[in-house]
Amino acid sequence: MKLLLGLALGATFGAVLQLSGASSHTKITNALRLRDLTIIKLILVAIGVGLIGVHLLDAVGLANMKVKDLYLPGVAIAGLIFGVGFAVTGYCPGTALAAAAEGKVDAWFTVGGGLFGAIIFAFLYPDLEVSLLSIGRFGRVTVHQVLAIPGVVIAVPLGALCLWTAMRLPEPGGMS
Amino acid sequence: MSPVLSWWAGGLAIGVVLILAVALVQPIGVSTQYVVVVGVLLHELIPTVADQSPYLVETAEGWTALTYEFIFVAGIPLGALLAALATGRLRWRVVPGEWEARFGSLPGRRLVWSFIGGFILLFGARFGGGCTSGHMISGVSQLAVSSLVFSAALFTSAIVTARSLYGDGGPR
Repeated sequence: MKLLLGLALGATFGAVLQLSGASSHTKITNALRLRDLTIIKLILVAIGVGLIGVHLLDAVGLANMKVKDLYLPGVAIAGLIFGVGFAVTGYCPGTALAAAAEGKVDAWFTVGGGLFGAIIFAFLYPDLEVSLLSIGRFGRVTVHQVLAIPGVVIAVPLGALCLWTAMRLPEPGGMS
Repeated sequence: MSPVLSWWAGGLAIGVVLILAVALVQPIGVSTQYVVVVGVLLHELIPTVADQSPYLVETAEGWTALTYEFIFVAGIPLGALLAALATGRLRWRVVPGEWEARFGSLPGRRLVWSFIGGFILLFGARFGGGCTSGHMISGVSQLAVSSLVFSAALFTSAIVTARSLYGDGGPR
């Protein structure tokens, strides 16, 4: 039952990535070149809806939260590395799978390179853990926990701000 | 090809998938499953080597891919394929237009860089403990500080890389 639910949610996610252009190399590349902000608007809406929905659920105790560990500067370095891969391929790990399925041969190679990167990381992990990953460990911190206020108090206005920003950013036709 | 769904419809749908996932199971994530695939495969082929990596042992727990997390990720290409077929948008393509305009139509060059880029992508994702789905969509929605830091670094680096790669910036 849980596996079927996973399949249904995953397939819906994949279909939406395809239909909304998030798996398109052109759309991603032009978003990062700041020429067509469609994908930025889409991400802002997803996060805006997510912030409000997840924290409303959490406020009534129905959310299964899973907050990731904070380690600095490790997480920031990881984000910088990831960004280079994102710009070079024009895909992220999820959209590469979607693009690969719709006949984009270069995305197959991104998935292949990704699998290779994953295995190399797995074998470097013990060394990385004693060096970079163990510095500046703060655990699973959230913004509302730091500020000691309920998450929904920040999430709803911040979510609304994301949605408002998404609306205000220019449509592709309106950009120079 | 222009998208079938507008940015607001697509964003809303992704937000709803996340909310359902958080309500029913857990937040969404993709990149961990790359480790699971290689872990399970390696364990099939050379189990002694796979057992030597504590990271693999922990991530590909039980050496099985029959988990909710893996089936979710396996659903992504399935859903994308069905959506592309249903809307007549299944197209074979090796070199993307933007790339060709900048680096030429040589397939080998694009494929080698796609592979290298994929390597960098997953190395960064595993290093940071998540990707666009796990950190940016799920993590920021939970107000995780780690995810806010990762996402800010990701976009800064991706924008700088893309603009220099494609020769933007400077006087136009």
